[in-house]
Amino acid sequence: MAETVKIKTRNLSFSYNGKRILRNTSIDFAENKIAAIVGPSGSGKSTFLLTLNRLWESIPNCNLEGRVEMKFGNTFHDIYQKKYPVTRLRRQVGMVFQAPNPLPMSIYKNVVFPLELAGRKDGEDARIMVEQCLKKVGLWGEVCDRLDTSALSLSGGQQQRLCIARAMMLQPEVLLLDEPTSSLDHKAAAAIEELLVDLKGQCTVLVVSHYLDQVQRIADSIVELQDGDMKGRSLVFAA
Amino acid sequence: MIRINEKTIEKFFFLSAFFSALVTCSIFAFLFVLGLPLFSGGRFFSIITQPWAPHLGHFGIYPMIAGTLAVSLLTMVVAFPLSLGCAILISVVDRGKMSWLLRKTVEMMTGVPTVIYGFVGIFLLVPLVREIFEAGSGMCVLSAVLMLTLLVSPTMILFFCDSFERVPRSYGDAVLAVGGTEIQKFLYVTLPHSWTGIVIGFTLSLGRALGDTLVALMIAGNAVQVPGSLFDSARTLTSHIALVFAADYNSMEFKAIFACGIFLYLFTTILVCAVRLVGGRRKMAG
Repeated sequence: MAETVKIKTRNLSFSYNGKRILRNTSIDFAENKIAAIVGPSGSGKSTFLLTLNRLWESIPNCNLEGRVEMKFGNTFHDIYQKKYPVTRLRRQVGMVFQAPNPLPMSIYKNVVFPLELAGRKDGEDARIMVEQCLKKVGLWGEVCDRLDTSALSLSGGQQQRLCIARAMMLQPEVLLLDEPTSSLDHKAAAAIEELLVDLKGQCTVLVVSHYLDQVQRIADSIVELQDGDMKGRSLVFAA
Repeated sequence: MIRINEKTIEKFFFLSAFFSALVTCSIFAFLFVLGLPLFSGGRFFSIITQPWAPHLGHFGIYPMIAGTLAVSLLTMVVAFPLSLGCAILISVVDRGKMSWLLRKTVEMMTGVPTVIYGFVGIFLLVPLVREIFEAGSGMCVLSAVLMLTLLVSPTMILFFCDSFERVPRSYGDAVLAVGGTEIQKFLYVTLPHSWTGIVIGFTLSLGRALGDTLVALMIAGNAVQVPGSLFDSARTLTSHIALVFAADYNSMEFKAIFACGIFLYLFTTILVCAVRLVGGRRKMAG
């Protein structure tokens, strides 16, 4: 069965302080699959993710050329078109960073935070969603009796799973993960790998990774970035 | 090579802190002892209730207390939102050339001597206030408040800017990545985590507004009265000390300046404690 395309980049170039980071990148990513982006340090992997949710726009002296289209509903939208609101895009495209970045507030507030930002009330529905998301990332059993304690008291692995739960709260259609296991021990990394595999089928996952064995375990396709150029396009490991 | 161990350094810091605290307490004790003749024989209440009329034997300083509170508190009412807005512009809204230029200007303003502000006030602001409002000489509470605002704002702005810029970038990224706007990022993350810096900046500026002598002396008009409006002339405690300083050392008039010093000291301490208390509670709640 032919795969449905979820993300299309066309002639995507990106520069920071005049230095070219990405060069004419044109690539497609399949819907509800895990794509791994690999490459040496400084090759533009993290930057590539930032171009998919426009998060680079908060960094000064950056410039982007080309197009990124994503399929929401049955239509492809140019995410850089002015009429496409960036807040809407970021609610549809969740992101998890290399270092866990829980906010200095309680575990519960961290997870419910995206709903609060979206203007939704913190009621019974929100509580149920928090529970579901924490269960999905396998954290509910560890924190259900201390939801009011600070998220900063959690271990590194727990914090990273909390950040994934936070990103999942708005049920994004695309999830971007920038080396999500690089600061974690083997056990915590395995839990996150398992979680990503579980998420497949529910959303499109793009994960930047340095570990080839990890990529082989979880990814449906692999994309290699070298000095801003996409190479080895979509090598398929799994059916 | 001299090797200093941790214990020695600890002792050095302890002695430094102890000495600072001792000096602060000594100043209060000094003021209290020298002002004691004013407080003996039930004179204390007369000081804070009587008018200032040395020729009649009245040494009350309440008009100056009212003048000080009016000028300094109104200064903070104007300066705080102004400084907060300016700091937001420099550190949050614009991080480009305009931000750089504004920041350098503010940094330069912190180094301008107070007397320059006083001159600018007399020759530019006072005539302007006189012409615009047509109420008196222009040497009034309003002029003093506006010039003191210019004097205390740079310190506050720089404290606020530093506090905003110290908030970890990862916090802001977390808000933006889940669809938050720049305003939400500021309200939910930047502002709560800058709270301590905001309180410190406010406290220092309040202390400066309370303790400034020259600007109030040169611009506020120095009339011994309780100001009833912004256009009334007023005399602050610091101005009063400067004006009475030339009196006979043994006179009650001269001794009254120690009472002024004590009240200034008490006001500063009470207001600083109040601000810290409120700030501490807010921080805990956040």
